[in-house]
Amino acid sequence: MYSTQRSFKWTSILLAVSLALTLALAACGNNNNGGGQAAAGDASPSAASPSASQADASSSAATQGGELTYALATSPDTLDPQRSGLAVAVRVIRTIYDNLVVKLPDNTIKPWLATEWTESEDGLSYTFKLRQDVKFQDGTPFNAEAVKYNYERILDPATKAANASALLKPFKSAEVIDEYTVKLNLETPSRAFLGNLSQALLGIVSPTAAKKYGDQFGKNPVGTGPFKFVKWEENAEITVERNPDYNWGPEIVDNKGAPYLDRVTFKIAPEEATRIGSVQSGQVLAAETVPPQNIVSLKSNPDFQVLQANTIGLPYTLFINQEHAPWGETKARQALQYGIDIGAIVKTLYLGTYDQAWSALTPGVLGYDTSLENAVQPDVDKANALLDEIGWKKGADGIREKDGKKLTLRYVDGSPNREKRNDIAAIIQQQLKKIGIDTEVVITKDILTEVYTNSNYDLYGNSQVNGDPNALSAFYHTAPKGALGNLSKVSDPEIDQWLEQGAVEKDDAKRAELYKKVQQRIKDEAIILPIYVFPYTVAASKSVQGLKFDLLGYPLFNDVSLAK
Amino acid sequence: MLKAVTGRILSSLLVIVGSSALVFVIMYLLPGDPVASMIDVSNASPETIANLRHQLGIDRPFLLQLADYFGKLLRGDFGQSVLNSEPVLPKIAKHFPATLALAACSAAVSVIVGVLLGVLSAIHRNKPIDLIARIVGLLGISMPAFWTGILLLLIFSIRLGWFPAMGSHGWRTLVLPALTLGLIGAGFIVRMVRNSMLEVIGDAFVVTLRAKGLSERAVMYRHALRNALIPAVTMIGVLAGEMLAGTVVIETVFSRQGIGRIIADAIMAKDLPVVQGVILFSALVYVVVNLLVDLSYAVIDPRVRRAA
Repeated sequence: MYSTQRSFKWTSILLAVSLALTLALAACGNNNNGGGQAAAGDASPSAASPSASQADASSSAATQGGELTYALATSPDTLDPQRSGLAVAVRVIRTIYDNLVVKLPDNTIKPWLATEWTESEDGLSYTFKLRQDVKFQDGTPFNAEAVKYNYERILDPATKAANASALLKPFKSAEVIDEYTVKLNLETPSRAFLGNLSQALLGIVSPTAAKKYGDQFGKNPVGTGPFKFVKWEENAEITVERNPDYNWGPEIVDNKGAPYLDRVTFKIAPEEATRIGSVQSGQVLAAETVPPQNIVSLKSNPDFQVLQANTIGLPYTLFINQEHAPWGETKARQALQYGIDIGAIVKTLYLGTYDQAWSALTPGVLGYDTSLENAVQPDVDKANALLDEIGWKKGADGIREKDGKKLTLRYVDGSPNREKRNDIAAIIQQQLKKIGIDTEVVITKDILTEVYTNSNYDLYGNSQVNGDPNALSAFYHTAPKGALGNLSKVSDPEIDQWLEQGAVEKDDAKRAELYKKVQQRIKDEAIILPIYVFPYTVAASKSVQGLKFDLLGYPLFNDVSLAK
Repeated sequence: MLKAVTGRILSSLLVIVGSSALVFVIMYLLPGDPVASMIDVSNASPETIANLRHQLGIDRPFLLQLADYFGKLLRGDFGQSVLNSEPVLPKIAKHFPATLALAACSAAVSVIVGVLLGVLSAIHRNKPIDLIARIVGLLGISMPAFWTGILLLLIFSIRLGWFPAMGSHGWRTLVLPALTLGLIGAGFIVRMVRNSMLEVIGDAFVVTLRAKGLSERAVMYRHALRNALIPAVTMIGVLAGEMLAGTVVIETVFSRQGIGRIIADAIMAKDLPVVQGVILFSALVYVVVNLLVDLSYAVIDPRVRRAA
């Protein structure tokens, strides 16, 4: 007994000492603040202008040379764009590969490796004219054969290109018209198809290298991009170097030629403190995925900049499963809509560094409906009234009952706690108690079984990075017979019709209108609870200039230079 | 002696086979589907998912999968990663040197700091040096490696800039991780050595030695320490396991390469062949270290040699 007490005493002394040390360190950190507020205004989250760098790379002459060290939060799975499934891999993939087209922040599609294209009258084929001056980094010429090889490679089940093949849908076949003309045929017309060709997962790989390395192409990547792959030390770093021949940069970057940097070294640093600390101590020049508390402190430090680019597509959204009673009733769902204070949750957890989401789409996607912003405000009284109306009365324990059944909600979320999503569940559980709903929070690693196979949830959250509003179809269109169904189990003939029209409508303005109707209906029917828009954040030394982001929020290094 | 060694080797083999079978069963029973880590299941069609499961062979009956696994092992085939088709054995071979370097340096720190402080604190019982040794002992045992690592990193890398925060090339990247991990081992060894030294010092033979007029130094270091070391050496065997487990955390905190990182990533991704490969490999290392420790008793203690 004596010894336990003794060690307890020691433990407390120890804890006190380490706490004091931490505090001292934190205080030292704050001393650097100097000018403080003056520098704090930079880089507010904004999706519409992804050129988040306030640094004046375009106006001042960029310095040539140097190495950018950039710390990634996790390790890429593969550098074969067509086989990758991880966003972190795309950050590297973007440096090595180019696409046929590029999508600009205003949602227009511009040339990249293709110079121009025509669409057939029936919308079933696209004919691309290709650049004639492009070579892969291994010397292989880029031509129509290469494009044909690439898209057929994605369709080939042996490639295991699950994510890329989903993006390429409804692609059917490719025909070589002449050396620099290729025709892509579709199963059905699709307005999303052309835009999808701009996505990194549909980057064009060298046919020679892909054939040569087969399964191991992802470790020996070759593309036509601004940087050439040098080496990949697993779990440590990936190095790419300047491709001196590069001369075909897309419209989204200023520097169309070879990059200013000699090389970019991506360091893999999973531990937050290590990653962010390394930027603060100058051991790396930039680091991604900055936790909210560090964003706040780094922004007030004049030696550093925090760059943010909101990812676009579907925001983090809670889907209400309409197949489970009482959530099939609109009023029950509206009670959730009014009973949950999303604004408070987002502010509490992300300290004002994330934007609250208001719609089924994020800002920046074609057709995003700005009129939905602030359209729903939390109102506990209204939520209570709605539940009373449909016969769920509060019992003695404060939980509502109807016909002897308690009002419960099963909230399923994945593990690990990505972006504090588990904490959102915990707060919602507390908030819903106030309107008499008993929430069971289930955190599981096995989302595939729990959610997609067994549909054993009332509330489940998901998000998707996507550049086209057609992304809504997978989540809100009536599911085909026999399929698992969409996450909300929603089936609304009008939504179906708008989505189907949106998929083929050629006039962008009309198309946007259709998707606005969909978003409004989703809000009116309280089909979902939109939560937050995820910002991709990078902490960088002030010397890093010209870092930009593509439409989806992935970093682009073409314009980056290092100030002396 | 030879018979004992053969027996130990056979039982070691049993441990290896048993632990790899156990891992296979646990990974099989754990919720989660490797397919979910390979693709975005919310976007994939049921056919795609079924096809992938078929390609991976995880749609077959459990016993068939298990038999297949051991069959391949016997042929020296550890399989390949389901994530990027990389063969498992070369992957481990590539990363093991970094882990070995870390474990060896940590063990060195543990032993040097542990034995030194343990002996000093026993000799100078209740003096300041004893207090320091006991603090180190407690620190090592009670502070989570993760916490110590971050603390050292914040002070010596981020604030003072003496050592790099990440990487696994060169001795400078080894200092902080080895210190962090070594401190854990040192904590155990300090306590162990101190206690057994105190016990030995109280023994009758020490009194006899002193009575014979041997110098205090000779009594302590030539005779008492030798006796006190046996439990400490046993401890080192146990610590080998701690070290291997510790590398998972330390390699992540300090962004090092190594098999600890591989297994952490593979578990998250449910990359079964990699998890199994690393566990099997770690079991092998652990068993070999313990075998060596057992054999080393004979060197330290003549009684063991005679008994065997």
